[in-house]
Amino acid sequence: MTRFSARTETAPAPRAETEPALAGLWRVVVLNDPVNLMSYVVLVFRKVFGFDEPTARRHMLEVHEQGRSVVWSGLREKAEAYVFTLQQWHLTAILEPDETR
Amino acid sequence: MKRVEVKLALPVVAPLLDLIKRTIDDLHGQLAAPQSLRDLDEELGAAWKGELLNDQNGDCQRFLALFDREFFASGMVAFDDNNAESVLRACAAIRLRLRDRELRGLSDEALEGAGVDLDKLGEAGQKGYMGYVFLATLQELIIQHLDAAILEG
Repeated sequence: MTRFSARTETAPAPRAETEPALAGLWRVVVLNDPVNLMSYVVLVFRKVFGFDEPTARRHMLEVHEQGRSVVWSGLREKAEAYVFTLQQWHLTAILEPDETR
Repeated sequence: MKRVEVKLALPVVAPLLDLIKRTIDDLHGQLAAPQSLRDLDEELGAAWKGELLNDQNGDCQRFLALFDREFFASGMVAFDDNNAESVLRACAAIRLRLRDRELRGLSDEALEGAGVDLDKLGEAGQKGYMGYVFLATLQELIIQHLDAAILEG
């Protein structure tokens, strides 16, 4: 697994083979929590995804107001890496199949 | 390297440190935020959780290192490129655990809107809430002064 934060520790190894059920596109979804500060969530989104401030703020508000925001979509392995990094920052992040494309 | 030094009120912060240390001990074998990943096989899931725990523990140790002899002499703590990210994450982890353990009687709305009536909390709840607010204040300070260093780091 490739990790996307600036930290250099070794991440869990990727699965050896991509199972058919895991193929296709996956979405990284961040869920609301009542604890993390809005400014913190904005910073994490900017850091992890390279969003500009308005984009990060828009996703943060979506999480806050709607309970969830899709912050990224793409191949499973990269999506896993993003979820891992978001979990390092103690955000609640999940993966779900992207059935919109 | 940008460095931010903050003088904290010792009589206010020192009494909160026992609770914060206990909360960190409590986090030693558990993740602060729930980990959920569909279809993750058992081996990868265990490795994933193990590394998150390792990172969480490391962040908490860097947080505790702020409160050294100098802090107890002068009230000063310092943030820079080397510890800002770890302290930010540790504050998030500790706040999440405080919310679960010490502040579970409060509604999300009360916590988010700062509408907490301290008199109704009792001594333990008051201390938990003070710690919760203190950690948020540290996070705001770091984000305000070191966000560029964190984004570039």
